[in-house]
Amino acid sequence: MSIIKFENVHYTYPGDQLESLCGVSLEIEEGSFVAVLGHNGSGKSTLAKHMNAILVPTEGKVTVCGIDSADEERLIQLRRNVGMVFQNPDNQIVANVVEDDVAFAPENLGVEPKEIRRRVDEALKLVGMYEKRQHAPHLLSGGQKQRVAIAGVIAMEPKIIVLDEPTAMLDPIGREEVISTITRLCREKGMTVVLITHHMDECVGADRLIVMSNGSVVADGLPAEVFADIGLMEREGLTVPETTRLLYDLKQRGMDLPLTALDVDACAKEIVEKLRG
Amino acid sequence: MLKDITLGQFFPGDTIAHRLDPRTKLLLVVLFIVALFQARGWVAYGTLTLVVAVCMTLSHISPRNIFKGLKPMIFIIALTGVLNIFYTSGTPILPGWIITWEGIARAIQMVLRIVLLITGTFLLTYTTSPIALTDGLELLLNPLKKLRFPVHEMTIMMSMALRFIPTLIEETDKIMSAQKARGADFETGSLMDRAKALLPVLVPLFVSAFRRADELAVAMESRCYHGGEGRTRMKQLIFQGRDYIALALGVLLLAGIIYLKKWGL
Repeated sequence: MSIIKFENVHYTYPGDQLESLCGVSLEIEEGSFVAVLGHNGSGKSTLAKHMNAILVPTEGKVTVCGIDSADEERLIQLRRNVGMVFQNPDNQIVANVVEDDVAFAPENLGVEPKEIRRRVDEALKLVGMYEKRQHAPHLLSGGQKQRVAIAGVIAMEPKIIVLDEPTAMLDPIGREEVISTITRLCREKGMTVVLITHHMDECVGADRLIVMSNGSVVADGLPAEVFADIGLMEREGLTVPETTRLLYDLKQRGMDLPLTALDVDACAKEIVEKLRG
Repeated sequence: MLKDITLGQFFPGDTIAHRLDPRTKLLLVVLFIVALFQARGWVAYGTLTLVVAVCMTLSHISPRNIFKGLKPMIFIIALTGVLNIFYTSGTPILPGWIITWEGIARAIQMVLRIVLLITGTFLLTYTTSPIALTDGLELLLNPLKKLRFPVHEMTIMMSMALRFIPTLIEETDKIMSAQKARGADFETGSLMDRAKALLPVLVPLFVSAFRRADELAVAMESRCYHGGEGRTRMKQLIFQGRDYIALALGVLLLAGIIYLKKWGL
């Protein structure tokens, strides 16, 4: 069943001439891990902001968990189902103590204190930050801060978690921490994850990859399939995984290989099998 | 250098001072400040200094941290001292000098008063997390809501401000380093020159602060923030026995100081 539904969505920022989204239609399945890849200005962040009604389409319709995002009466109900994590962890942490920050959303929702405590502890354990619950956020590393931010939205117990370039400001270790955390949330907790990014390697583990360009969806499918269209990826100025690149180059030189092997082992196996004939 | 500012900084811990209800601590600080301004004689000042020293020991705050917090105030403290030495009439310490015995005594008392005032409030912010502090303040000011005073809005603004102090300090440091790398000079020159050199730091700082505020607002809205209505708290504040005892001691201290004042001590 689709949990997020975009129907011919157009959006123009106030004061802008150009449309940032030009007629996007897509559906996202419950429990899936969807990556959205695109260059700066491709409209991927605008797309994300439509998922919890920070932005409301100028034309078209967005439905999340059966709620129309333009319905202001049910705004809170919509937002409690969609957790948003943003790029800069410093600008989304509201409290001076980790656990107080995680408690912020359930406090806003008027949840019982005992229940908040339970949710906060559970969320912090899920992201592996329980030991640091008494710490001051500004003393944590970037990856840790971002995991606190993720815990902060998990404590709302949302069905969907949307991450808008959560790793853009992190070092490689921090990126790995964040990506493995959200992958786990999707696989073990059955949360729907929408990851907006411009790092192709973060999309490899997704169920589905959407490529955006100039406010439109230009590719949509399994990551391996999308990457295999190297021509398109290069036109969009996006890099493809090195395995895909290798298979592609070999194919150009006359080896008839499928381009869908993403990890190194699978790629090696394809080549070996081909060589053995 | 900016890292030294400890104003509004909280040192986590698990002492009796940390466990007291923030409302209790806020009220105690108010009582303490009133008492401080009622103090006239050496006995009163001595008692108050002793009280602060005991509180410091109880909360495991080292004098070094207090001193660090006092450092930015040194100019004001010194100025108060000097002015009081020279502008108090009485018996000169040597014939013909303007400096009087009364002046020295008064200067010491005034300096002590400022130091105790700052230290007392530091003890509050050092042992109370800003969230607890603003929660306490909100509850204490709650009756004002009936007069349509925006208590929740005010307290959430305060806690946000406190939350962003370290972030903005870090940012200022970064901007200053970037400008130093390009030849800016913050350390030499007259006061005027140095003030002028700071202007190019303030502009990017303000720009980024506004951008941060914007992003923070979006992030807060995404987490269902919609004002104080219907909000609950994870950490409920409940007065314990120790809070009543502490408050009783505070009232006793104030009464004692007022009593001492009557006797001119």
